[in-house]
Amino acid sequence: MVISHRLFMLFVFIMIVILLTGSSYAIPAFSRQYGTSCSTCHVDFPKLNDFGRAFKDAGFKFPKDDETFIKVPPVLLGSPAQADLWPHTIFPGTIPGLPPIGLRFNTFFQVVSKNRNNFNSQLPPGTVGPFIPRTDFQPGLFSIFMAGNFGSDIAFWVDDDISVGGSGAAGGLGDGYLKFVNIGRFLKLPKDALSMRVGQFELDLPFSPARSWNLSGWDIYDQTNFGTSSQNVNNGFALSSAAQGVEFSGGHTYRGYHYSVAVVNQNTSGSAASPANVSPQVGFASDSNFKDLYGRLSYRFNLERDPASRNEIQAAGATGPRDHTYLTLGTLYFYGRSVQRATGVESDGVTQTVITAREPFYRVGADFSFNYRAFNLFGQYLQGRDHDLTPLIPTNFALPVGFIGSNPVKFSGGFVEADYLAYPWLMAIMRWDEVNSSADRINGIGADAGNSPPAPFLSPFHSARHRFTPGIQFLIHANIKASFEYQIRPQQVVYDISTGKPLTSPFRTNSAVAGLEWVY
Amino acid sequence: MKRNVLVVVAVMVGLTVAAGAGTIRGKISGVAGESVVYVDTIAGRTFPAPAQHPVVDQKSLIFQPHITVVVAGTTVDFLNSDSVAHNVFWTSLGGNKKLGHNLGTWPQGEKRSFKFDTSGVVPLFCNVHPEMSAYILVVATPYFAISDQAGNYKIENVPDGSYTVTAWHEGVRNQSKPVTASGESKVDFTLSK
Repeated sequence: MVISHRLFMLFVFIMIVILLTGSSYAIPAFSRQYGTSCSTCHVDFPKLNDFGRAFKDAGFKFPKDDETFIKVPPVLLGSPAQADLWPHTIFPGTIPGLPPIGLRFNTFFQVVSKNRNNFNSQLPPGTVGPFIPRTDFQPGLFSIFMAGNFGSDIAFWVDDDISVGGSGAAGGLGDGYLKFVNIGRFLKLPKDALSMRVGQFELDLPFSPARSWNLSGWDIYDQTNFGTSSQNVNNGFALSSAAQGVEFSGGHTYRGYHYSVAVVNQNTSGSAASPANVSPQVGFASDSNFKDLYGRLSYRFNLERDPASRNEIQAAGATGPRDHTYLTLGTLYFYGRSVQRATGVESDGVTQTVITAREPFYRVGADFSFNYRAFNLFGQYLQGRDHDLTPLIPTNFALPVGFIGSNPVKFSGGFVEADYLAYPWLMAIMRWDEVNSSADRINGIGADAGNSPPAPFLSPFHSARHRFTPGIQFLIHANIKASFEYQIRPQQVVYDISTGKPLTSPFRTNSAVAGLEWVY
Repeated sequence: MKRNVLVVVAVMVGLTVAAGAGTIRGKISGVAGESVVYVDTIAGRTFPAPAQHPVVDQKSLIFQPHITVVVAGTTVDFLNSDSVAHNVFWTSLGGNKKLGHNLGTWPQGEKRSFKFDTSGVVPLFCNVHPEMSAYILVVATPYFAISDQAGNYKIENVPDGSYTVTAWHEGVRNQSKPVTASGESKVDFTLSK
């Protein structure tokens, strides 16, 4: 049973990482509204250029004179002059003249190395393990997304995956929020010093997993934190998880400072990872109004010599506007509480009750991005730490009466990626991902035959999970992209359950993935 | 004496205009939208460029106008009226890629100028906004016309004589026809790819 579970998890892991690749969006609705190409805002969509960043910062508007660029006039929800009558009338706004709807579809083809089924060597005789095909066609996402501006600097965004991985696999809401841009003007703050976003949204990460241009996501953003068999941490939170709450932000992402502070719901539901975890689990739901906190601060140094050019949205190149030469330095911090409930007993040792472990955790990271013309080098380092509360079971008690602090569960890692835009339609990518954790499920918990029940039989050869991912992407049209990645995966070994000795030499299960994506 | 000279000149000019200038008109079919018709060359004659510079504006992410016709030697001003940066470049002039040029980028309200000395079609682009394009036709004579949307055109004050007139339309092949200009002349074109 344990073996099947591990194999299943491996299968799920490979399928998720290889097949269900990173989400990405470009916004055809904006192309329609402004009569402009995707490349106005994107470098190899959905990667934003400096103008795209400014457009997003401004609440999906041209930063200046937006109304002069709109080719499809918005519908007025009240005469602009009605604004003078407020509060005796509804403040006038607008809705886009065309429903700002975009659709997106992607599909993939993968080839996995021959040793992909090596893990099955530990299955009992006669057992059929999960089969990972050598080659496979996979439908990806079919998504609908809407974004725009309601006037008065109120922007909106909703995206939803109608299906994932083909028919019958529903996706769900991605982001759905209203953003009140530049509300700091009511407080006489400098322009763009304060905006507010409310709804469900991706955290303001330095590099957006939801709108990544890579076929596969950055591993560290998907990293959850699960303890070993001797620990009681089952934190299913990952930085790429959607958050529900409110976010205050300010500054710009194309020059100078940028900050955001978010208060969001706890989102730590997990699943029992380790047999020794408190049993039976009652659930992970929060029992308090405590909200998780997220903050980010970055500063971008535009490095143009000409001060005028340095402060523009895009730099003035000799032959045309281009992205700045810049260096961005940033940091992020997330503080939350992971909640687990379990069946325990009162101090009499008899009366059953629900006991709750509220385990504080944090994620802290630093990031950089350097851009020179068509070359962009960027990276993220992240550390995670979860406080571990293990069950306190007094002598002669069958169930715990509470929890006691133990060794925290930690992980660290990050990525470095280099993008080179050889042509406007051709981008080459080299990426390195690393996750260091001796206790997470994806890394594989270290083989230890001394444990009972037996420890897992597969493990990374090293305590860190590395991945090298060279790739190349072609824009067939401005809205159609062909991508290719070769994922060089971490070395792994298969252990004998009973002896803990390795059964296989370290091997890699590499994969090549090709994807086609189009938006319209 | 001075008065007599003026009278003679006036009479000669009057005779020239009255007896030596005609109109070429016609219709261009097979295409939709504006086309350009122009008299190719007039042997032995050159025409001075106008002192006033035509303006090609970049406004609302559109080149305005979409088609500009100028006599060789004319200086064209390229204006940016948008609050976003624009660029102007062309990859060839009259099909000659060596005459491609990039004017660079400049902010709102400013303009840059370029003198077009060589006849031919100049396809204009902005390297920031690939949806933007326009054309400048540099022609050898001032006898040209831009048709209306239905394809009707009229070239006035063409000196009497035998010429070749050419019809140009974006994205299709040019068509040239001989014409003898004298009074009212009619030349129709049917253009195709």
